[in-house]
Amino acid sequence: MNKTLKWAFLASSLSLAPLAVSADTADGESLIGKSWEDITAMARGGEVNWFLWGGSDNINQYVSEYIGGILKEDYDIKLNRVGLSDTVEAVNIVLGEKESGVMDKGSVDMIWINGENFRTMKQGGLAYCGYTDTLPNNKLVNWDNPAIANDFGVPVDGCEVPWSKAQFAFAYDTARTETPPRSIGELIDWAKANPGKFTYPAPPDFNGSVFVRHVFYHAAGGVDNLLGDFDQAKFDEVAEKTWAILNDLEPSLWREGKTYPTSIAAMEQLYANSEVDLTFNYEPAGVGLNIENGVFPPTTQGYGLTDGTIGNTNYTIIPFNSPNKAAALVLQNVLLSGEAQLQKALPDVWGTKAAIEVSRTSDDIQAKFAAIKTHPNVAPAAELAKAALPELQASWISAIEKGWIENVGN
Amino acid sequence: MQRNGSLLGSSFRFLTGALLITWLVLPLIPLAIWSFAKGWFYPSLLPKMWSLKAWKYAFSDTSGVLDSLWLTIGISLAATFLSVLVGVPAGRALGMYQFKGKSAVELLILAPMIVPGIAVVLGIHSVFISMGLTNSVPGVILVHLIPTIPYMVLVMAGIFANYDPAFESQARSLGASAPKTFWYVTLPAIMPGIIVGGLFAFLVSWSQYILTLLIGGGRVVTLPLLLFNFATSGRNDITGAIGMIYILPGIIILILTAKHLSGRSGAVGGFGQI
Amino acid sequence: MSDRFKIGLLLFPALSIIVVLFFGGLLVGLMRSFNYMPVIGLTQPDLSAYVSVFTDKEFYLSFLLTFHIAFTSTVISCILAVAAALLLRRQFIGRAVVNFLFQLNLTVPHLVGAIGILYLFSQSGSFARLAAEWGMIAGPSDFPALVFDPYAIGIILQYVWKEVPFIGVIVLANMQSIGEDYESVARSLGASRWQAFRHVLLPLIFPGMLSASVMVFAFTFGAYEIPAILGANYPAALPVLAYRHYTDVDLAARPEAMAMAIIIALLSAVMIYFYVRFSRQRVRS
Repeated sequence: MNKTLKWAFLASSLSLAPLAVSADTADGESLIGKSWEDITAMARGGEVNWFLWGGSDNINQYVSEYIGGILKEDYDIKLNRVGLSDTVEAVNIVLGEKESGVMDKGSVDMIWINGENFRTMKQGGLAYCGYTDTLPNNKLVNWDNPAIANDFGVPVDGCEVPWSKAQFAFAYDTARTETPPRSIGELIDWAKANPGKFTYPAPPDFNGSVFVRHVFYHAAGGVDNLLGDFDQAKFDEVAEKTWAILNDLEPSLWREGKTYPTSIAAMEQLYANSEVDLTFNYEPAGVGLNIENGVFPPTTQGYGLTDGTIGNTNYTIIPFNSPNKAAALVLQNVLLSGEAQLQKALPDVWGTKAAIEVSRTSDDIQAKFAAIKTHPNVAPAAELAKAALPELQASWISAIEKGWIENVGN
Repeated sequence: MQRNGSLLGSSFRFLTGALLITWLVLPLIPLAIWSFAKGWFYPSLLPKMWSLKAWKYAFSDTSGVLDSLWLTIGISLAATFLSVLVGVPAGRALGMYQFKGKSAVELLILAPMIVPGIAVVLGIHSVFISMGLTNSVPGVILVHLIPTIPYMVLVMAGIFANYDPAFESQARSLGASAPKTFWYVTLPAIMPGIIVGGLFAFLVSWSQYILTLLIGGGRVVTLPLLLFNFATSGRNDITGAIGMIYILPGIIILILTAKHLSGRSGAVGGFGQI
Repeated sequence: MSDRFKIGLLLFPALSIIVVLFFGGLLVGLMRSFNYMPVIGLTQPDLSAYVSVFTDKEFYLSFLLTFHIAFTSTVISCILAVAAALLLRRQFIGRAVVNFLFQLNLTVPHLVGAIGILYLFSQSGSFARLAAEWGMIAGPSDFPALVFDPYAIGIILQYVWKEVPFIGVIVLANMQSIGEDYESVARSLGASRWQAFRHVLLPLIFPGMLSASVMVFAFTFGAYEIPAILGANYPAALPVLAYRHYTDVDLAARPEAMAMAIIIALLSAVMIYFYVRFSRQRVRS
């Protein structure tokens, strides 16, 4: 390679380094209560760095092309989608920055988040809070719904804005399995009757963890006893039963339970290649996309459980030290709009459930929502909604994950 | 008898050679096939359906694969260039001179080859955050220098150990200036070393994952980061396409420099000099 | 200009980068592993991070696993690389191809190799499909577990795939610069083929082989992405464990990650010291 070319590469790589940002809007307090026109004016010409899980080309396309396009055309804001393999990486960047005293020049402007990561952000004072009323589209959000106002039992308190709703669902291959188990009790019996054909990702994997919680609810005889603050005595009682069930199940699992898949994606590969016969996901729409993308056999069918599956809401959060808060607010407002939520709900785009109250959108949007034909192989939303279970508070969840690692995982 | 033995020997060599060829290429084959597959499940030996979707995605603006390719090339070239800049003088000092404390200096410079990157990058990360070097391309290039410089110094020390400085003094005595002497006498003599050392430095930087992930904070998205994202999310078709794109530049550079890597070049022997 | 000054000047740029970045990084890691960081108000160093690392069972399992991976990969790669180099210095049909592939393999990043090994050797991978095609297995679970397995076979396969060419290229270069004269002399004096190899060629190529295998050992002991892709969830390889602790949202785990990083650095230095000493003795004896 000749010298000039080499220098050109060098220069171009160095010029990609972050330079001074045009309009610094790190001071979040001063934005609260400002008119929306002022905020969009401050955001204009700037950029926003959104950190989110990057392993789905469908979501990447929706974010970069659809949302990025609206930001560019309507607000002259450049959206940088930063793909992660795990959301905790973004939380860690903010955490590390705070520890090192980076208070207003952070590198993260927004994170797709919920659950334990949200708890860390909120309790660590890492979130920008109290601004939600400033967003015009906040009126579409039903904050009176406890499933929106609480993120895994932690009150949202204006520190994040909902993006989508999801509910755990199972899936099986109709070509391989005639009747899949329809409750946790049946599932345990089914797994024992079909040795090697079931497994779950090792917590703290997000989906493996929620599966273990289903067993935990089953051992507790229902979720009602577990809601509210963490209760050590109650936890110990239920946990003992849960570990007994799971350890008893272990020899019937894939590879006799000597190892567990490290991620949900690894388990989906096992399912796709007939190593195991069941799979599950917190995002039921994934079944449709996976079939279309050739990840799952087309004979895959999603379904819910008769004793219910856990549902959650996921959110977007703005870190306290984001230097582009105005642009991040504009981005959140776009995400909440009826149009963007509708686009996201289309089965060939993503197929995930809207987090806004559809009845509060315009008639036109409502009609289009009503006309959506979900992918036939995705567990029907109505079926899932009939038996939706709440999430536990994050302190319960981390206790269950720790307990699983100590008592079952090793 | 002798003839027979050599015939046996050459067919044995041919067979083991064929086995070696198969083994060397084998892991790349499923990646290549996956990049054109749409759904490829056990027990199918070949995909039932073919598709260009993964390649279309890889070359689309959304995926950022091409941006990432240029960025990765830029970072690796910059790291290589800087390694050459500091590695050639250091190699000269170590290869041509005997001095007190030489083995200590050697140990210092070679230490990063022996101590894994993960052991130092966590500490560097803390320092870089406060210096504002995290999440930036210069920060990533700097941290790539840790594993690349020792390779460069090592190869150059090997070259300079067999280098005769008499030519330089002759040139100087004939009136050539120091830069001219370097350009017309020294540089041509050490060029094979620069090429081999540079190739190694480039490849070391090119394949960095954990250093880039931590120091780049997800903002500096090199190809291995993209590849890891897709490999761990189960999109084997896109993983295959990105994997193919990821190995291409290395192959091109190898073809350009192959003759220097052959056994007869003294440069590779530099690795025997520790 | 005195020689001393000249040498200092030549070494200064490389040394300063290595000292500042590498040893600076180690030092900061060391301080943080002792919970000592005056800049952020931690002025009382303590050993709590080391205590919690050394009382964690997974740490010991993880160390054994990582040592096994590094040691086994290095030894197998070394033997195969010398064999391949012996093959490659002779003329045969296809030699040019092998030579080229050897070098080509050097350019393929470990991550790509790891994914390839996963697709080949998983219980539903290409080899399992071949076995099913030939009726050797009834289903994926009949195929031996070669990835995500407790013996890290998949990880070792990937390292062998990648490191045989690396060591091989270096050893071959050594062999070719040595030539075959010494061996011919030994053979004409009545040495067997094996004797000529063991007592003449091997000691000559040994320094190059040793330094290459030290690099391989260090790399395989400290690499993250390969065990992250091909490893079992428990126990994880040391670098994976350290990274998990470092990215744990519980800030208390960070000093533990730093402590593990320091332990990895120390262990790899100590093991390589003994490896070099031991193997030098073996060859001289």
